[in-house]
Amino acid sequence: MCETQAFFPGTGICKELEDHALLLWLTQEGAESLNRSFHVLEYCRVSSMASAPTSKYNSHSLENESIKRTSRDGVNRDLSEAVPRLPGETRITDKEVIYICPFNGPIKGRVYITNYRLYLRSLETDSALILDVPLGVISRIEKMGGATSRGENSYGLDITCKDMRNLRFALKQEGHSRRDMFEILTRYAFPLAHSLPIFAFLNEEKFNVDGWTVYNPVEEYRRQGLPNHHWRITFINKCYELCDTYPALLVVPYRASDDDLRRVATFRSRNRIPVLSWIHPENKTVIVRCSQPLVGMSGKRNKDDEKYLDVIRETNRQISKLTIYDARPNVNAVANKATGGGYESDDAYHNAELFFLDIHNIHVMRESLKKVKDIVYPNVEESHWLSSLESTHWLEHIKLVLTGAIQVADKVSSGKSSVLVHCSDGWDRTAQLTSLAMLMLDSFYRSIEGFEILVQKEWISFGHKFASRIGHGDKNHADADRSPIFLQFIDCVWQMSKQFPTAFEFNERFLITILDHLYSCRFGTFLYNCESAREKQKVTERTISLWSLINSNKDKFKNPFYTKEINRVLYPVASMRHLELWVNYYIRWNPRIKQQPNPVEQRYVELLALRDEYIQRLEELQLASSAKLSDPSTSPSGPSQMMPHVHTHF
Amino acid sequence: MEPEKCGGGVGARVSTSPPRRRSQTWGSLDQSLSRGLGCWSPGVVSLAVTWPRDASQETPLSSEYDFVLVNIGRLEAVSGLSRVQLLRPGSPLKFTPEEILIHGRDFRLLRVAFEAGGLEPQAFQVTMAIVRARAQSSQAQQYAGISLSKAGQSSGPRKPPIPLLETSEDWETERKKQGAGSWRVSPVNERFDVATSLPRYFWVPKRTLDSEVRRAFGHFHQGRGPRLSWHHPGGSDLLRCGGFYTASDPNKEDIRAVESMLQAGHSDVVLVDTVDELPSLTDVQLAHLKLRALCLPDSSAAEEKWLSALEGTRWLDYVRSCLRKASDISVLVTSRVRSVVLQERGDRDFNGLLSSLVQLLSAPEARTLLGFQSLVQREWVAAGHPFLTRLGVTGASEEAPVFLLFLDCVWQLLQQFPAEFEFSEFFLLALHDSARVPDTLTFLRDTPWERGKQSGQFNSYTQIYTAGYSQLPAGNSVNPQLSVWDWDLRYSSEQILQFHNPGYDPEHCPDSWLPRQQPNFMVSGPPSSVWLFSRGALTPLNQLCPWRDSPSLLAVSSRWLPRPAISSESLADQEWGLPSHWGACPLPPGLLLPGYLGPQIRLWRRCYLRGRPEVQKGLSAPTISGLQDELSHLQELLRKWTPRISPEDHSEKRDPNTIVSQSR
Repeated sequence: MCETQAFFPGTGICKELEDHALLLWLTQEGAESLNRSFHVLEYCRVSSMASAPTSKYNSHSLENESIKRTSRDGVNRDLSEAVPRLPGETRITDKEVIYICPFNGPIKGRVYITNYRLYLRSLETDSALILDVPLGVISRIEKMGGATSRGENSYGLDITCKDMRNLRFALKQEGHSRRDMFEILTRYAFPLAHSLPIFAFLNEEKFNVDGWTVYNPVEEYRRQGLPNHHWRITFINKCYELCDTYPALLVVPYRASDDDLRRVATFRSRNRIPVLSWIHPENKTVIVRCSQPLVGMSGKRNKDDEKYLDVIRETNRQISKLTIYDARPNVNAVANKATGGGYESDDAYHNAELFFLDIHNIHVMRESLKKVKDIVYPNVEESHWLSSLESTHWLEHIKLVLTGAIQVADKVSSGKSSVLVHCSDGWDRTAQLTSLAMLMLDSFYRSIEGFEILVQKEWISFGHKFASRIGHGDKNHADADRSPIFLQFIDCVWQMSKQFPTAFEFNERFLITILDHLYSCRFGTFLYNCESAREKQKVTERTISLWSLINSNKDKFKNPFYTKEINRVLYPVASMRHLELWVNYYIRWNPRIKQQPNPVEQRYVELLALRDEYIQRLEELQLASSAKLSDPSTSPSGPSQMMPHVHTHF
Repeated sequence: MEPEKCGGGVGARVSTSPPRRRSQTWGSLDQSLSRGLGCWSPGVVSLAVTWPRDASQETPLSSEYDFVLVNIGRLEAVSGLSRVQLLRPGSPLKFTPEEILIHGRDFRLLRVAFEAGGLEPQAFQVTMAIVRARAQSSQAQQYAGISLSKAGQSSGPRKPPIPLLETSEDWETERKKQGAGSWRVSPVNERFDVATSLPRYFWVPKRTLDSEVRRAFGHFHQGRGPRLSWHHPGGSDLLRCGGFYTASDPNKEDIRAVESMLQAGHSDVVLVDTVDELPSLTDVQLAHLKLRALCLPDSSAAEEKWLSALEGTRWLDYVRSCLRKASDISVLVTSRVRSVVLQERGDRDFNGLLSSLVQLLSAPEARTLLGFQSLVQREWVAAGHPFLTRLGVTGASEEAPVFLLFLDCVWQLLQQFPAEFEFSEFFLLALHDSARVPDTLTFLRDTPWERGKQSGQFNSYTQIYTAGYSQLPAGNSVNPQLSVWDWDLRYSSEQILQFHNPGYDPEHCPDSWLPRQQPNFMVSGPPSSVWLFSRGALTPLNQLCPWRDSPSLLAVSSRWLPRPAISSESLADQEWGLPSHWGACPLPPGLLLPGYLGPQIRLWRRCYLRGRPEVQKGLSAPTISGLQDELSHLQELLRKWTPRISPEDHSEKRDPNTIVSQSR
């Protein structure tokens, strides 16, 4: 503990610090043994004070220990041995390169490429830099410079990553030395283009928990009290015939027959009919999701659809109108009529009220995140940071999504009105809104497993197009289908967890881990666009679930401040004054911005452990004493009286 | 409780107390009353204008709903949805208000509703009473302050929670604590005849005679010559002084005295141009006004323009430049044994800010609750920061909340180094709010002289201040013994408990890091190098003083001009300029070097956004105390059970008691 000196980077004064940030979180979760020396000399230079650093500081005790361990045990320094490997991961090649670190300048190192990752170890004695990048995060590989280009380190590769960073490697100009590396990287980073399997299908890791069993739709609906008198579970989509992007199992109004459903499907974009996402345990109002109605330019109507919505409205015997939230801006909804879509008009749907939530489409979000990357990597502004941040509009989009979800939750909870949510196809903004509203309404989803179920249900099973939005193994980096919709959702969750620090069982690391494996392709969880595709590929049989990794080591992802509360609706403040950029995610590669771990959290964890120890000892003592309790007068009070008291606080 | 009492005198306070009967209408307004101390007291609001204070109250001042009249930034009367009148003295109230909004200059907002059937009939009267009282209070140049009935009643002298530095003993104790062996306490200003803005005692080099001090100080702006602020355990000294009084015509001996005081026995002297790269007083004031306007609940700033509007106030920019400069100076102080002299013309604003920040960055001691309060007492209160003027209490034009800027800087450090500070954000908030509370003289005077005058310390010049002097007549005068640091008079014990940062880890900064004192660093000759620190760089100086005929040691030319920064041959071998300097000297590990990139300098939301209606609930993580109580309870149970089962089990390797008490 004593060595743990707090040093904050970014002072314009030379110093060395450990580059925790350059490390992928992956290494830490996988096997602890991967956790080696992550020591980087950080030379911060500020124009007025160029510096030649010699001073050296310790940083986190955890990593220091691992450094010591390595050297003390005299661990074989053979570099090829030091490269971490997952079961099923095979080595392809290695090469000496110069890593052009935007924070530390050029660092000579050796890069190892496997079918899963790119791993770089510094060859310089004063730097222990390590890069550990799953190939899945690579979005684009470019050659920089030509065989004849001049200047130091001008020839090499420039790699754009999906996780807010770029990597540049300089190679020797002689003999086309980069060609190999370029081809190998391209091949394994974009396996789909080369008819190679995604790594998740090769991964042979073993976990003591099977994450695929976490989500069972029947169980989840049963938890919600379904089926009931008004809602039934239907297997009409068992073979994905009604709607190929929906899950096999759907919850629909009891009064709607399968034939009704088929007729409604014809009037909804991609047959994504209104189905139940969540039901309020008390007032029985529901959140229903779907895609836009196929109104078109001519203003088509469909009696079955209109009737179906009215049936939904009546399930909880509400007198008021059914509330429809169209996630899009009004203009976009109108524009969609041109391509056959549209929205529910007042004329056709007398018993419904429609509101637009003004959330922009996937293209706007993609461009916004691009701008965020521009301002956070590699350089971060000082004086004009806030206006730069504002110009990305990222927080504004976050705000709109949260505001929309709050409206949905509020309508259901205090407005006692059922709600129907859709956007265009009902797999991007709709998923954001329903899942966030459910998170606000239902404390179950704020637990670790509950959140996994929420993601599994609202996102994965209902066909958020992960493959298209992320582009797993696909080389087409400019694909217009790519968009950080899921990231935006996780950001919203983070904003909520910031505002309600005791409400969530999981911590920030949990969220970051999810995002890392959104890209890594190590697990099958986020692969493919919909359940039918996943079933066809036998994903659950042939790959491992991300939840296996998380649930087999839950302690790491727990928020110590979590206090379980039932039935508390959370309404975050969706105001620009209270939203923040998620620095620990978006700017985590910058070693100058490194947030100190919250000491209160650490202390709390210690105290919690102490409490458990006490309780255990007390139980043992009480047990032992009651066993030889022949003389009742020696005991201050019976254990049975004692124990409930002990547990009351938590 | 009668409204008309409100106009009874300066220093009257408006306070509201939770109602016996809660009106439904105000449920949504409850939040605006939070002062953010984590305790959420719903219940607004029947108005009670009390003056003098009801003596039965447990703490004489500062409940959640206390609002000092001087703290009132703006008063509005509201009736219905649309009728709003800005209340000014002399302008008659045009309607009977349903509600008055009191906008605090400390970012709080108090909404006072006149319940139907309750105070409604008196609404008009009460409102006008507040307006009148406020007008009177702003006319008064000097506050008499409020008597603290509780303190007045208590028998016997009350020991100040921290040394108030009004006696030479206090100074001597502090000097020894810092290990400033080559310094002594000088009583030269005991009668405030060297400078009224200086404390009666301060530290000067041991070898400097009082006559020399007097001689030297005359050549500084307003007589504020160089004094020791802080002695770094590694040997460096941090000094502060006013600007050279260039119009004076010092003789050789005067100059020698000045120079030796600046040199303080070191061979390496750095003069720091304090105000360089820092905002001006006007800048600070303007930024604070803009920030306040922006944080008002009805701020016209559009939601989507909030970030750039916040940037536009420049407040965060100023915070950044203060932190940057302070961290540069800390490096100067810690990297090498030398004398570092902060020089600001008036020596009463940014010198105090920088000196305090440097100590916070370099000295773990200053980050404790006691240490920090002593620091503020020494570098701000005793050093003569003109609180009254700067906080705008006098209505003078030189308002500039430099002290609040300082508190914001400290908050930033707290955010960046959450384990390094013993005090919490709530403590800073309490201090922030105390700046305008007229209970004690701490922030109510511009100079130590005025403060002393009020407390009657020097009826005659020969009277010696005694700690037992507390027999002041009760009534409308301030008890001089009381300072802002007497928190228990104004805050409940639960609130005071929250002043402690549960994340503080004292082991984090062991004393062992301190470099050993260099034994014989005092030099008798002239300094071998003299530098000016300006614009983030060191420039060699020819001489320390600006006056002609200086017999200066390094004087090659008689002009006082920094030498061009481009190296001259003679200096090439010497270490000069920061880079090589700093590279060569490892910085001590106790030093905090704050980051000041955009995302690292943040808005102190809990302070500035308090007045906004959407204040969040559930924002603060649970305090550790709940868990600690449970642990104590468990320990108790264990103790009851353990002996009869296995007595030897009692000797645990780690004593649970220490773990629990540590985190208290």
